Amino acid sequence: MKPLEGRKIVCCVGSGGVGKTTTAAALALSAAMEGKRALVLTIDPARRLANSLGLKALGNAETLIDPSHLAEAKLTVRGEMWAMMLNLKRSWDELVRRNARTAEQAQAILDNKLYQTLSTAMAGSLEYIAMEKVLELYSSGRFDVVVLDTPPTSNALDFLHAPDRVLDVLDNNAMRIVLGPMLKAGRFGLRLLAAPSGLVLRTLARFTGSDFLRDLAAFMMAFEGMYEGFKERAANVKALLSSPQTGFVLVTSPNPLTTQEALFFHRALERDGIRTAAVVVNRVQRDPRRHGGPDNLAALREALQLAQIKDENRLAERLCETLTEQAILADLDRREVERLRDTLRGVPLFTVPRLRKDVHDLAGLWQIGEYLGGE
Amino acid sequence: MPAPVDRRLVVVTGKGGTGKSTISAAVALAAARRGKKVLVCEVVAKERVADLFGRPPSGTEIRQLLPNLYSVHVRPREAMREYALMILKYETLYRLAFENAAARYFLTAAPSLAEIVMLGKVFWHAARETERGRLRWDMVVLDAPATGHGLTFLSVPEVFLRLVSEGPLARDMRLMQALLADPERCSICIVTLPEEMPANEAIELDRALRQRQFPAGPLFLNAAFESRFSPQEVASVTRGGPLLTAAGEAADNHESRAALCRHYEGVLRDTVPRRLVKVPFLFERNFGAQAIDKVSHAIEGAL
Repeated sequence: MKPLEGRKIVCCVGSGGVGKTTTAAALALSAAMEGKRALVLTIDPARRLANSLGLKALGNAETLIDPSHLAEAKLTVRGEMWAMMLNLKRSWDELVRRNARTAEQAQAILDNKLYQTLSTAMAGSLEYIAMEKVLELYSSGRFDVVVLDTPPTSNALDFLHAPDRVLDVLDNNAMRIVLGPMLKAGRFGLRLLAAPSGLVLRTLARFTGSDFLRDLAAFMMAFEGMYEGFKERAANVKALLSSPQTGFVLVTSPNPLTTQEALFFHRALERDGIRTAAVVVNRVQRDPRRHGGPDNLAALREALQLAQIKDENRLAERLCETLTEQAILADLDRREVERLRDTLRGVPLFTVPRLRKDVHDLAGLWQIGEYLGGE
Repeated sequence: MPAPVDRRLVVVTGKGGTGKSTISAAVALAAARRGKKVLVCEVVAKERVADLFGRPPSGTEIRQLLPNLYSVHVRPREAMREYALMILKYETLYRLAFENAAARYFLTAAPSLAEIVMLGKVFWHAARETERGRLRWDMVVLDAPATGHGLTFLSVPEVFLRLVSEGPLARDMRLMQALLADPERCSICIVTLPEEMPANEAIELDRALRQRQFPAGPLFLNAAFESRFSPQEVASVTRGGPLLTAAGEAADNHESRAALCRHYEGVLRDTVPRRLVKVPFLFERNFGAQAIDKVSHAIEGAL
């Protein structure tokens, strides 16, 4: 894809169910065909697509697509095609182990009652870990391009501001002050943790009970000293995402709700000073009327007669109804594509027609790659 | 066991983009038509149901959309505030405890506190009585968040109670857990599409829901295509010369979508032990009240 030339990182963003994973995989495959070492980092691929990419359920390891699989699909790849499936829990555990000052600190965090909930359920957790992973893969220098299939966030801001939100949970000054007495008591080891004190603490404890606040204090204590490293990497991620090395691709379907979401994402990117590199509209209904020919009942009857096809069981009527329905779908899709084109003036837009079958193999990905200007 | 239409809480779950809001609206409309007083609660970021009926958004105030049919948008911040005030009684105390940086942090860090207060609010609606002691709503329809998140949402009481066992929130979460587990009063439906990802998610969601023993409502297969042409017909029209190219392509497209639909219907019937209800694909230039009316008639039999 032209607008992505020279980019080291490609982020495919958009709402769930619009074909983000497929688009990301197709873009990586195109890059690999052109001779690059390309990696697609996916979050939750469809099973058959994951299978054809050779990905195993638990994942979290870079996997080189076997060249023989590519050859079976009649694809000659000059570079390398890699794929990886992100495992949220595992990635967090690795991150903690890598960045803890001591093995004991790592274990204390991993054993914390709240850690598991926080690492897997906290808002922005998946987005944050995906960005960390991208930074890690990029810095390794093993890949020319890393294509990120982002989590199906319903909110663009969740994605862009995930590092801030996660950093805020790991270390929050205000909470430190409130939890101060508990933290202090813990540090001096007098009582493991003091009972909640202060009006704010007591009020919060009325909602959740004081055990939870103790766990929270223990969690914050366990993370002590690691925060700076997290902050530094988050800053690096942010700088990388807004640099020209990174290209954001908005992926959408021609459904009004998803195009709205795509436009919302575009504006959120703009506010953060990031330009959208390209828009991909998947599954656009092709208009059967582009072939011309009769589209009303009388003319269809005549055409059937000319072709010596018997008009049995109301065949002409059924054909007419089907043509009308698909014309409606094509009109609706066209309207949405035009809306996107008008609003995103100047952003290259690619449409991929609705294909007869779901795409779940390498040959299908290549077919999509061609619509994305892969050649 | 009572029919879904006679249960107090109907939860509509499924992958994002499968039409949960449409089905929620249609379930509510079908019940309202039978004389039930129905409230639709939306808990996702963007409110949709009122718009489907061509009405302005309801926001956090309950608004009437049609006779017997009401909707409300449950948002975390407002729900938290209302909830906290219910318990704390004093606005000043609320401000002191909640409108400061520490509490904002607390709201992010506490396990799914946003979900807890939203679910708490839905529960409050479902259990609310009028002055005469009758239930305020015959049915509350919960338009739940998308799959992964939706399951988290429904498991919130369980997860929360694992971490916290005292306090007023824990008490309410216990009541909510009991309601969600009660097949007499609650039904949890799944919405899916005849496509790989949504179908797989529906299968996984069904398994996870049954494992946690949530009362199983119907599985709605949305946007279904029925076969309309025999393979011979498609072949002969496709080969029928240039005048029939468009018609041949349309027939072929239709049949390939019907084939996909048949395939996933088979897979779902084999793996999901729920009543499968097909909702036909609607070719509407404007998807609004009329479309919802059609959907509500299509699913009526299952309620």
